[in-house]
Amino acid sequence: MDELTSVFIQEGREQLQAMEAGLLELEQRPDDHDNINGIFRAAHTIKGASGVIECHFIESFMHKVENVLDRLRNGEIQVSGELAGLLLRCCDHLGILMDVLAAGIAEPAAEVSLAGDALQGELAAHTSDATATAGGSVVEAEADVEASGGGVVNTDSWHISVRFGPHMLRGGMDPLSFLRFLASLGEVLAMETIPDAMPAAAEMDPESCYLGFEIRLQTRSSKADIERVFDFCRDDCELRILPPNSKLAEYVKLIRELPEDDMRLGEMLVRCGALTQSELDEGLLSQQQVRLPADAVAPPQPLGEILVEHKVVQKEVVDAAVSRQAQVHEKKAVEARLIRVQADKLDQLIDLVGELVIAGASANLLAQRSGQGELVESTSILSRLVENIRDSALQLRMVQIGETFTRFNRVVRDVAKELGKEIDLVISGAETELDKSVVEKIGDPLMHLVRNSMDHGIEPGDVREARGKPRRGRVELNAYHDSGSIVIEVVDDGAGLPREKILRKAIDKGLVQPNQTLSDQEIINLIWEPGFSTAEQVTNLSGRGVGMDVVRRNIQGLRGSCEVASVEGSGTTFTIRLPLTLAIIDGFLVGVGRAAYVIPLDMVIECIELKGNSAERDFLNLRGEVLPFVRLREMFEVDGERPARENVVVVQYAGQKAGIVVDQLLGEFQTVIKPLSSIFRHLRGIGGSTILGSGEVALILDVQTLVQRNARREERDMNTPAMLRSTSQN
Amino acid sequence: MKTIFLVDDSATILLSISNILAKAGYATEKAASGEEAMRKFQAGVKADLLITDLNMPGMNGIELIKQVRKLPAYKFMPILFLTTESQQSRKLEAKAAGASGWIVKPATADELLNTIKLVLR
Repeated sequence: MDELTSVFIQEGREQLQAMEAGLLELEQRPDDHDNINGIFRAAHTIKGASGVIECHFIESFMHKVENVLDRLRNGEIQVSGELAGLLLRCCDHLGILMDVLAAGIAEPAAEVSLAGDALQGELAAHTSDATATAGGSVVEAEADVEASGGGVVNTDSWHISVRFGPHMLRGGMDPLSFLRFLASLGEVLAMETIPDAMPAAAEMDPESCYLGFEIRLQTRSSKADIERVFDFCRDDCELRILPPNSKLAEYVKLIRELPEDDMRLGEMLVRCGALTQSELDEGLLSQQQVRLPADAVAPPQPLGEILVEHKVVQKEVVDAAVSRQAQVHEKKAVEARLIRVQADKLDQLIDLVGELVIAGASANLLAQRSGQGELVESTSILSRLVENIRDSALQLRMVQIGETFTRFNRVVRDVAKELGKEIDLVISGAETELDKSVVEKIGDPLMHLVRNSMDHGIEPGDVREARGKPRRGRVELNAYHDSGSIVIEVVDDGAGLPREKILRKAIDKGLVQPNQTLSDQEIINLIWEPGFSTAEQVTNLSGRGVGMDVVRRNIQGLRGSCEVASVEGSGTTFTIRLPLTLAIIDGFLVGVGRAAYVIPLDMVIECIELKGNSAERDFLNLRGEVLPFVRLREMFEVDGERPARENVVVVQYAGQKAGIVVDQLLGEFQTVIKPLSSIFRHLRGIGGSTILGSGEVALILDVQTLVQRNARREERDMNTPAMLRSTSQN
Repeated sequence: MKTIFLVDDSATILLSISNILAKAGYATEKAASGEEAMRKFQAGVKADLLITDLNMPGMNGIELIKQVRKLPAYKFMPILFLTTESQQSRKLEAKAAGASGWIVKPATADELLNTIKLVLR
């Protein structure tokens, strides 16, 4: 794919998002003209750009969409739910067309083309003449009301001043026919003949035309339309067309709404209709002519002044255009401060920074061994700088989660319609930042959770009312930072998870034994089990067999975790916890036997000495709290004798505390995470590896699975004797 | 009834324009070449408007306009010529020869009739 096309695809997708966002707002606020203009602009930009890259199937489709939006913008058709829905479907189709283009296929497949044709047919219903006349008459009626109310009927007219050239009649043209034709555009309110150029009778040439006219015309036509009437005599007549007062305000408004392109003054005036192209050409010509004889160094007279002098455009309009120009320049300057960078360049930088961190650690180590004070000092300054560089480099990869969240506005709207439920989406923490690669991968699991909440969680409106809840359901998406991780919550105020049903299902599926007693939380957690689904009917939204276990696996793939809390009758909360970054972490280095392990520093709360008397148990008393712990030595089956003094690193994860028993504490350490190769994938409790300053390899502990694994093993240990007992009794 | 004189070497164009004009209530006179048109004008044919093509074998449109303008009876008759958008220089040449205006090909029936309405007395 060439560069131009890839730029177009990126720009096109951005504009498409803007369009979608605008369309969603459209239903809420149908009178928001800024919004409608925004939607139009986005569509217009896509169409224009697709023309430039010569992608005709997008161009022609967008042309139809643009036509409808144009009518909407001009108030010729009204906003309706049906229209908004149609336009949103057009957005979807455009997305498909973009995919076609991105895949490098010359033409969309037949079924895509057919879908496009069907949409175009629907669009045509909104542009056909039948609705045009209906819409047009409505606008006209409104205009009349406005006019009679404002009392501006008489003054609100075009002023046309024309002096015909002497050769008019000899060219077979009659001033009268022009005037008559003018009258067909609207109503001529007043006309005055100007015979000033008429010479004395003796000098008069009967075949020459000496007449001029001042005309007041009331019409809905544009300036260009009026000028076109005089096309045939434009070359040898003087023509001034001044817009009515109401038009002035309209021009000023149009200028403010112009797209934010770098446009020249004349272009802007022509674009909004205040100036016609030929008036502009004339103005530019006289700007050059004035300049040539004078010294070339002097700046030319501003075009705006010339145009006002020529009386082709009012000063107010020029002023508005000039200030708009300044505005756009300012905005461009801000945009120029943003740079687009290819993602793989960033990844490369992060890799290099990672190497730098490792090399820095090694230099630090050598300096300390050498015992030279100055060397130690300079390497410590160096490592502080490396740390700063690391933070800035990671910051480059951070993006706000907002974009991912806003996509759900559309999902919630569509799904709610499909389900016949009324559901609001509330978003908070959209500005929370996290690593780009995480953002990219979190979309699918989130989609599953949100759809699940809407489909299974939120009850139909009538049921909600009967339960004393507001009729409209509510789904929240929240994001916030919490001790070195980012937390994303999907909250609904629906029915909550039905424990009885879940338990029954789990027993049916053989996931639990009928006589097993489970706590409420344990029952709820059954939803994460593979192949579990309680939906009695498989809808096309959720319950497609792709269960919650897939969601959990995806999130775990990002080194995250997910939990569910639910109160029956009042709602469910899914909490996803993700690491801030995937590449580099602050680690806490510990030693067991001769091997070194790294614990992510964010999770470490404190370190204590393991007293000899708790050595045989699996928990200790931490200031009155029970703290279960894991012995790394046992868990990883490290050979060798336990040292006389062992240490416990107290870690916290998702509100749970646990201890990890190690031999030595080696201190803080900046760590670049190197993922383990796929042969080691099945290893539980190890999240990756890293290289120490000395060149040795250290394993990074996956605290979460470590703690969970320990808890599960304990459970098993406790359950087994109980079951043995029951079998022995039978 | 106004009479419009059409000159074009293409029979298709002559027919299509005269059909449009007939529907709009105009009478038409036709000629397939500049020479034929000149003969009819010299014979004093009734015409309220002349519409001519510019590119014709033999006497071309510009020459025809110049000749017609020399005849006193047609000195002030409106004359339109058929042109394509790109022929800007031809436009000026034809104007200088005495044409009143032009119709850009291909024109819709509305454009054609509007332009005729504009120049017809």
